[in-house]
Amino acid sequence: MRKKPPRLKYFTSGIVLENPLLILMIGLCPALATTASARDGFGMGIAASFVLICSNIVVSLVRRWVPSSIRIPIFIIIISSFVTIADYALQAYQPGLYQVLGIFIPLIVVNCMILGRAEGFAYTHGVIDSILDALGKSIGFTLALGLMGIIRELFAAGTVFGFPVTPAGFREQPVLFMIFPPGAFLLIGVLKSIINKLTVKKET
Amino acid sequence: MVTETKTGWTDSRVWMVASLVIVCLVSALGLSQVYLVTKPQIEKQKADAVNQALGQVLPNAASFEEKEDGLWYGLDSAGNRVGIVFRCDPRGYAGPVETMVGVDLEARVTGIRIASPAEGMKETPGLGLKARDDWFRDQFKGLTADQVRLKKDGGTLDAISAATITSRAVAAGVADGIRKYAPRLKTDDAPEPDAKEDTAPEREGMR
Repeated sequence: MRKKPPRLKYFTSGIVLENPLLILMIGLCPALATTASARDGFGMGIAASFVLICSNIVVSLVRRWVPSSIRIPIFIIIISSFVTIADYALQAYQPGLYQVLGIFIPLIVVNCMILGRAEGFAYTHGVIDSILDALGKSIGFTLALGLMGIIRELFAAGTVFGFPVTPAGFREQPVLFMIFPPGAFLLIGVLKSIINKLTVKKET
Repeated sequence: MVTETKTGWTDSRVWMVASLVIVCLVSALGLSQVYLVTKPQIEKQKADAVNQALGQVLPNAASFEEKEDGLWYGLDSAGNRVGIVFRCDPRGYAGPVETMVGVDLEARVTGIRIASPAEGMKETPGLGLKARDDWFRDQFKGLTADQVRLKKDGGTLDAISAATITSRAVAAGVADGIRKYAPRLKTDDAPEPDAKEDTAPEREGMR
């Protein structure tokens, strides 16, 4: 008899040890484009999480009927359907939230994290495992984007979630560089190196 | 991935075509249903948003009457005109910056509102997008067309740091708009013929 894999691990691994952004290095495009402020970073994370969870559920449900040679187009149709549903639903029932997230929603279609989890996990695992995986990866992705948003907003505007946290002098002459894509690249590199340092320590 | 070695009935050519057709059909049907259900609600939200924006930029008015695309008359509860609201799209750093401007009968700005990114605003987040912040917009209140100008251009407005292009665009759009629509403040419901001639050719380039 095979040992049952510890299911909780699918959930917890996504948060730190297999963090999509900082360890697996997927979903980098939205990380660069949408983390100029803390609110935008968390907003993008939450919107992508919804689509990731829905698409993982559906892909794991239909995986036995999907021909392996055309699975990618099928995944993309499923993902873009959920993106469109999220777009309409937010616009109709949560206009306030849509004002914040609306700009990011079309970007989710091209978020390789979602296709990556559909192909790399949901296609070969059951529904429950896929939901756990999606939840864990969503939390990891949202936290990573939020962290980047907080740091970039702190440097580039001297605020966090719009609240001033640095002396007024800094807010007048902030590090504007951090708000542009090169600043995001630099920050990802720094975060990645910190994570590497920490994880290597753990292993030895 | 084990999928490369696995061959079964799902790999037949017929099923390949059929499965893709089914997925597309289900997706299209589902989306059209979602669209039909949400469409009236979305339109209502858009109309509400416009009304809310009108109320923000011309708070004295009790109701609004759309005169033409991008021009509203603000009326008080007795039906008298208290001002107008117009929309302008000055060219910012990354595209048009859609701005709604309320003007009272003395041709002074009562408030401005700048579209959000979800409404098509393309300015850089953290820079030009700060034109939406209250401190920037509130500076316009009470100014006439000649006063709506950045400090570095000889006016009274503080520019957004590192976003002078956007700041200047909004100021120019507001000032030009007031000059263009000022004749409409005095006229009755039917605009004077020459006033209409003045505005018509300019509008073509903007929309």
